[in-house]
Amino acid sequence: MKSPSLINLHQVSKTYQTAAGAFTALHAIDLQVQAGEFVAVVGRSGSGKTTLLNLLAGIDRPTSGSLSVAGTALPPLSESQLAEWRGRTVGLVFQFFQLLPTLTVLENVLLPMEFVRTGAIPMAERKPKALALLERVGIADQAHKLPANLSGGQQQRAAIARALANDPPILMADEPTGNLDEHTKNDVLALFGRLNADGRTIIVITHERDISRYAARQVTLVDGHIAADAWEATQ
Amino acid sequence: MTRLLFTKLLRDLQSMSDRIALMVLALSVTLTVFSAILYTWGIANREMADAYLSTNPASATVLLEPGLDAAQMAQIAAETRQRPGVLDAVPRGELMLQVRRDDGTWGANPLQVFVAAPNDPIQVERFTVEQGSWPPAPGEILIDRSSFELLDLQVGQDLVVQAPNGAAVPLRVSGMVYSPGLAPSYQEQKGHGFITSASLPVLGVPATLDALKLRLAESPGAAIASIASADRAAIVAASIDLANWLQATYGVTISEIQVPTPYAHPHQGQMNTVLSGLLIFGVAGLLLSAVLVAAMLDALFTQQIPQVGMMKAVGAHAGRVLQVYLSMVLVITLASVVLAAAPGIALGHAFASALLALVGLQAQNLAIPWWIYAMAALVGVGIPLLLALPALLRATGTTVREALDYRGVPMSGAQAGNVFTRFDLGLGRLRGIDPAGSAMALMAFGNIFRRRARLLLSVGLLASAGAVFVAGMSTQAGFQAFLDRQQELRRWDVDVRLGDGGPVPAIPAAQLAAKIPGVVRTEAWSSLQTSIIPLGREFSVTHTYPDQGHGSLSVTVIPPATTLLDQPTLREGRWLQPGETGAVVLPAGLADARAGDTIQLSINGRPTPWLVTGIAESVDHGDDIFITQAGYVAATGADRPNLLRIVTSQHDEPTRVAVADTAERALSDAGYVVRTAASVSRSTAAGAGHMLPLILAFLGLSAATSVVGFAGLASTMGANVLERTREFGVMSALGAPASTVRRLVVLEGIFIALLSCLAAAIPTVLLAWWINDYLPIPGLFRISLPAVAIWFVVVIVGAVLATLAPAARASRLTVREALAYL
Repeated sequence: MKSPSLINLHQVSKTYQTAAGAFTALHAIDLQVQAGEFVAVVGRSGSGKTTLLNLLAGIDRPTSGSLSVAGTALPPLSESQLAEWRGRTVGLVFQFFQLLPTLTVLENVLLPMEFVRTGAIPMAERKPKALALLERVGIADQAHKLPANLSGGQQQRAAIARALANDPPILMADEPTGNLDEHTKNDVLALFGRLNADGRTIIVITHERDISRYAARQVTLVDGHIAADAWEATQ
Repeated sequence: MTRLLFTKLLRDLQSMSDRIALMVLALSVTLTVFSAILYTWGIANREMADAYLSTNPASATVLLEPGLDAAQMAQIAAETRQRPGVLDAVPRGELMLQVRRDDGTWGANPLQVFVAAPNDPIQVERFTVEQGSWPPAPGEILIDRSSFELLDLQVGQDLVVQAPNGAAVPLRVSGMVYSPGLAPSYQEQKGHGFITSASLPVLGVPATLDALKLRLAESPGAAIASIASADRAAIVAASIDLANWLQATYGVTISEIQVPTPYAHPHQGQMNTVLSGLLIFGVAGLLLSAVLVAAMLDALFTQQIPQVGMMKAVGAHAGRVLQVYLSMVLVITLASVVLAAAPGIALGHAFASALLALVGLQAQNLAIPWWIYAMAALVGVGIPLLLALPALLRATGTTVREALDYRGVPMSGAQAGNVFTRFDLGLGRLRGIDPAGSAMALMAFGNIFRRRARLLLSVGLLASAGAVFVAGMSTQAGFQAFLDRQQELRRWDVDVRLGDGGPVPAIPAAQLAAKIPGVVRTEAWSSLQTSIIPLGREFSVTHTYPDQGHGSLSVTVIPPATTLLDQPTLREGRWLQPGETGAVVLPAGLADARAGDTIQLSINGRPTPWLVTGIAESVDHGDDIFITQAGYVAATGADRPNLLRIVTSQHDEPTRVAVADTAERALSDAGYVVRTAASVSRSTAAGAGHMLPLILAFLGLSAATSVVGFAGLASTMGANVLERTREFGVMSALGAPASTVRRLVVLEGIFIALLSCLAAAIPTVLLAWWINDYLPIPGLFRISLPAVAIWFVVVIVGAVLATLAPAARASRLTVREALAYL
């Protein structure tokens, strides 16, 4: 018997009201993602990639259709419930890193641990765990610096460590390499690959051509529709 | 709050220390002023009441016509004290004298002398003897301490006064007293002294006293209790009963009963007006700075929106985020309260002392009640918090999606058909017009509407400052116009007040005065103290205070063919006809009389009936009652004027003073008793003296409010620039030169200033009208056009200056800095 999908979208649409009228970003999308998959969502600008990620992360709500992630139907949840759910279930990585500028790298990683109420990591374990995460992403020596003192690549690694703080089953990233140089891009993608190899489900929105080296599945969006959903062998 | 969030709070405060410092400064400055006013209010009200009550003011004064021998009055007072409800009864008297100056002329400022029996312990209308002792010996006088400077006196010197019979009599100044129940001499332009009835023969008058001072208990059966009644109606009723008893028992004639407002210093109304005005402006100032802080916090929270979104993205719920930013507001407000505490108290002490000194009182205790401290702290924290709450809730309620989309301009919520959307489309079309050279102006105009809540706060802040400034200056202008009008109404230059003692001289006073060099015209008027006696009664009950000035009424007797009277505007009825007898024109609001009514006036101690022919607006002539000279003669049989009004050829002060001195000598030589001969400037000085505290308060508060307004503009423009850091980076990336960015920001500031001028129009009119309505002088309402022009220039120049620094910062941003901004 097939195990239930970790992510399940059924006929999900998203329409925005703008000054120029209604605009539908996603049209009746059906999508299932199994635990442990590395999915790359690709497509041109305006194809609906970020909208899809926002729906999956509980950042936005669908206009219609059903959506459940890690066994939780997201639409009925309040903003606070979504925040709590996100803190436990999803690690988010953004193109511009979005680290809090007045907290050190270590403190940025510790922050999500403070917000989770259900199943929170015991206080004594937090700092060692945050340091271990920074070690894992290769910037433990930068732990006590403010984000402004780090390079782009280091900031993105810190953001990944922060996304992993509560050990979420799913990691979602929106253009995580969009602001990095070529060399750093490969390092970050390789890091995602290693995290996936450890069993974590990863959804990445990207324009990178060679994402197929790391992501076994590529979902291609065109004008809010899934135009292709292909599995490829990874390196 | 967790330790990590607390760390974030501290570091955020540190990273924005300049803006936080500005907020704390703005708030603490206005809080200092507000709390100082609050403390002043607490101290001054208490001290004024305590000082006045410490004098044991008489509940009522029964005036006898004529007065009685001091011993006989003492006997009557002793028996009156046995009457139910009478706490105390003492005989007193009062007379007005002139003081001779060093040059031998009689001074312009009279000396009011209060007379008591030598054995009077001065338990009623008490005063404190600061130098010398009570009772002074016959021929000696104690002088109120506020009178020394006005009359140029010293303890120990011989003071020469003009006795009622016109003779010059020396009195030795044997000491100095502090009498908190009297208004200070500088305000009244008259001195106060205290003698015993043993000195009356020295002044050539019989040792008689004509006033019975009464302290009446709360209720007739409560004579044992020492609490004087605070119920004026009850005091009036009890006084009338006592007066009837005195008439029936001793056969005396009662001419008047004076019942001032119980427990209220003669200047209590003035103090209440000043303090209430100050408090209202203080609250307005605090509100302005709270609005300023709210605007700055709004900008600060807006700047933090991406961080709010990120915290929520990693699991923070709204409550956690609210904790951080609520704590930030509390830190700012508490810091302001703490910073304002010491200067507020010091300023409050100084201001209360100064204000009390202005009304002639010395503060005995500067302690501030604890609840006033609590109120100041509560207001200091509460008002800014309340005003910042919408911005706080909006920022912390931002969703992750809104935060990720945030670019310094609201992107969501725009809906077709929505009024704001239509407005935006209209603005867009405006830009589309794009005439040559106006593109920048249109862009700047459009930009100010991007954050409407912020615009509302900025415009509101500047409009409030403008409204307070213009309304304050307009009140000042209104009062100046009132003084000018008073001066204009005085078509004469010198007032000569004549006594009625002695034989009638052969040559009329006006004729004598007309011969003086420099005199153009003289008219013989009369001005008499009067009171309204209810029909069917033989004496009146007035509000008059012991100084015989406050609360008193006067009747002006108009000579035939006068050219010196500016006829008042009539609210109803008609003006007096030449030679008309039995007719009177009353000021509006007096005794609720209407044209056609008959009233009874006490003139020269006699009740006389009068037909009210007209009711005059009391704007120009205050509460003057007018009758014709023929009416005066017909009613009293007396035709001896007591007031000469002289017009001089030159209207400068030296001419007026010279003519006054010559007139005094000439009239005295001719056998007249001259009470005063003075330039009309003295009346102006007395009027200005009463309003001085109020004017100073308005001017000070207007200036303070303006400072807060500009600080607000500077900070909100700074916030606007900070918030649009990325936008300016994009403009630079697209090739906009630094000067363009700078001009854009300055233009935005100017547009905000212009909008604030429009927004201030109606509040200014309402505020000025309200202040005018509140002040005791009617007809002050006006909008000062110079004040409007000054504010307009100031607000535009201020806007340019306030936006220069933010504009320079915006123009200096590099593309990299701007785009990396979170």
